[in-house]
Amino acid sequence: MPGGGRCPDCGSTELVEDSHYSQNQLVCSDCGCVVTEGVLTTTFTDEGNLREVTYSRSTGENEQVSRSQQRGLCRVRDLCRVLQLPPTFEDTAVAYYQQAYQHSGIRAARLQKKEVLVGCCVLITCRQRNWPLTMGTICTLLYADLDVFSGTYLQMVKLLGLDVPSLCLVDLVKTYCSSFKLFEASPSVPAKYVEDKEKMLSRTLQLVELADETWLVTGRHPLPVITAATFLAWQSLRPSDRLTCSLARFCKLASVDLPYPASSRLQELLAVLLRLAEQLAWLQVLKLDKRSVVAHVGDLLQHRHMLVRKAFRDGTAEPDALDAREKELQGPGQGQGWGKEDRGNGSVDLSAGKRPASPTLLLPPCMLKPPKRICPTPPVCTVTGDENISDSEIEQYLRSPQEIRDFQRAQAARQAATSVPNPP
Amino acid sequence: MLFLHFKIYFPDDLAPPRSPLLSPIVPYDVYIPNSSNPETMFNSQLEEVTETSGNFSSVDLSFLPDELTQENKEQTVIRSKHETEENCKTKSWQSRLPLPSQQDVDLALNSSGGSNSHSHLHPGDADSAQPSPEKPHSLPLASITPMTPVTPVSGCSGIVPQLQNIVSTVNLACKLDLKKIALHAKNAEYNPKRFAAVIMRIREPRTTALIFSSGKMVCTGARSEEQSRLAARKYARVVQKLGFPARFLDFKIQNMVGSCDVRFPIRLEGLVLSHQQFSSYEPELFPGLIYRMVKPRIVLLIFVSGKVVLTGAKERSEIYEAFENIYPILKGFKKT
Repeated sequence: MPGGGRCPDCGSTELVEDSHYSQNQLVCSDCGCVVTEGVLTTTFTDEGNLREVTYSRSTGENEQVSRSQQRGLCRVRDLCRVLQLPPTFEDTAVAYYQQAYQHSGIRAARLQKKEVLVGCCVLITCRQRNWPLTMGTICTLLYADLDVFSGTYLQMVKLLGLDVPSLCLVDLVKTYCSSFKLFEASPSVPAKYVEDKEKMLSRTLQLVELADETWLVTGRHPLPVITAATFLAWQSLRPSDRLTCSLARFCKLASVDLPYPASSRLQELLAVLLRLAEQLAWLQVLKLDKRSVVAHVGDLLQHRHMLVRKAFRDGTAEPDALDAREKELQGPGQGQGWGKEDRGNGSVDLSAGKRPASPTLLLPPCMLKPPKRICPTPPVCTVTGDENISDSEIEQYLRSPQEIRDFQRAQAARQAATSVPNPP
Repeated sequence: MLFLHFKIYFPDDLAPPRSPLLSPIVPYDVYIPNSSNPETMFNSQLEEVTETSGNFSSVDLSFLPDELTQENKEQTVIRSKHETEENCKTKSWQSRLPLPSQQDVDLALNSSGGSNSHSHLHPGDADSAQPSPEKPHSLPLASITPMTPVTPVSGCSGIVPQLQNIVSTVNLACKLDLKKIALHAKNAEYNPKRFAAVIMRIREPRTTALIFSSGKMVCTGARSEEQSRLAARKYARVVQKLGFPARFLDFKIQNMVGSCDVRFPIRLEGLVLSHQQFSSYEPELFPGLIYRMVKPRIVLLIFVSGKVVLTGAKERSEIYEAFENIYPILKGFKKT
């Protein structure tokens, strides 16, 4: 047989291909020795010796694309198409999948993980190109658990050493807002609820920017903040008709899922707006509350930069002359960035309504709430690790013989009870 | 007169290891020791200390390299976090350093095994250290401030991370009958279908142990290294009382978790941008930023409220050092 094969027994080069029970065999025509059975040889040296090698030890694993990998690559492309991503994204995502697949940990992972890996590759591609795709969306599309997704995602980022930028909030606002079905009248959406897309988008963006500035976005899931901002923007564009509509009803109208934290984000956003309103002269007299402030959101947003500067101060900022008097009233301990409770929330208004409320500390809501429990200072510990251990201390943990017998009896009784679940 | 205790710490029969590289990564001159704080004493050149003030002028620190190599770092790690005595039972992990035979001494101060711990304490001149032991000190242990490793209480931040959890392992070196342990011990639970170990708890120190049939044990929940060791010994004693020939080999602290509060809010988005290669901030997954510090190898969870959790340490000093490293970075993000 051409190819340089030699019979291991007699060294003859006269090897003949023969079919035996439909299995290809290479037989030496001189001595009859069967050199190989089957044709699945893939290592180079073994191919030289015409010897069969198991697939897992062959180089085929590295050269060929395994079926599971092929399936995965297919899923990556499908996912990109479902999400209507630009064509270049597909190639990048596929490349990431292949890269990940080279690692043995990924290759040996369960199918569930490989499924989720598809989503991770697409997500990383989108993040790197500033395409606003949330993990929640991908998990919904893949029918995957967010926990499994997060584990695989973090592992992949670490394994491949990737630099994944954060989710771009502005783009996310634009795509998310556009998905609200409120821009055309329909049987479910009365005319007074229909809104112009551009106006709503711009106002939502301003509100999200305000939320970001006032610590409502850091550390939180971005989507509920945007939902709350969208709702507030929509309400404030026609407050007289829309104040009666609740957040839940709004999301239902717009056929968008209401994320659970959105209502608390809404309250936080309204609280910030109220604080800003206290700085505007013509709004101070109105004594606004969380409902009435909605009507003035437009004004507040127009002057938001100036108002934020006036309404809030971070702990290190120098209070200006206007607030100098109020500073001495507050006493020591300020200027440290501490914010246990709101200070000056109208309470230091010396002449009612004439002066704007003193600035409160600009802090994330978690720092404004009083601590749930005072952390006790740990007692000074003088344990050396080598003290004597008294016998009595150890014996308190041991059962007496009577107790052991009782326990065994109880265990046996329980076993008997569980083994006969339905006594007649 | 606390540094009296330091002198006692040098046994005369012991030559400290030759490695001069026993300091933490940050050179000593960064720390401005607070002379009123006893713990900062450790920073000073102990063999020369005659006063409590942090007088570094006479000390030659030029031999200190800019960076520790990994090998030397391991040697520093070996030094005892158990500031008090070394138990000869824990000889195995000490054997990495060339030590003479252990003397099983009750009082911490005389411990010869303290060499690897106090070899850290006189980093100045390891080669020429003249250990001058004093007569055995007879002060009761309780009156001695537990010695914490080099990092002073308030390096530049004024905040000391509190240890919250210590995980340690020890080898009891005998096969155990878990069913028997679960039967005879009140504080044990054993559910072989769920987990192949006995879960035992003691009240003082408040800890939990996982005891495996191979004789290996994991002890969690202690708030200090000494407590973890004491707790592990108590568990071993319980197992002994149940009739097993339990020993106490290879006690090792595997992980230490600490936490603290910097007291100002932190812009996590900014931090992840400026320290991309170390940080991972995914608000969709977890509200905190995960910072993987390279030196020391500690993982920090940084939250917007300013609370910081440090984990992954094998030594208390790693936690302190990691916090001192991160504090200036966090301060940079203090302003909104």
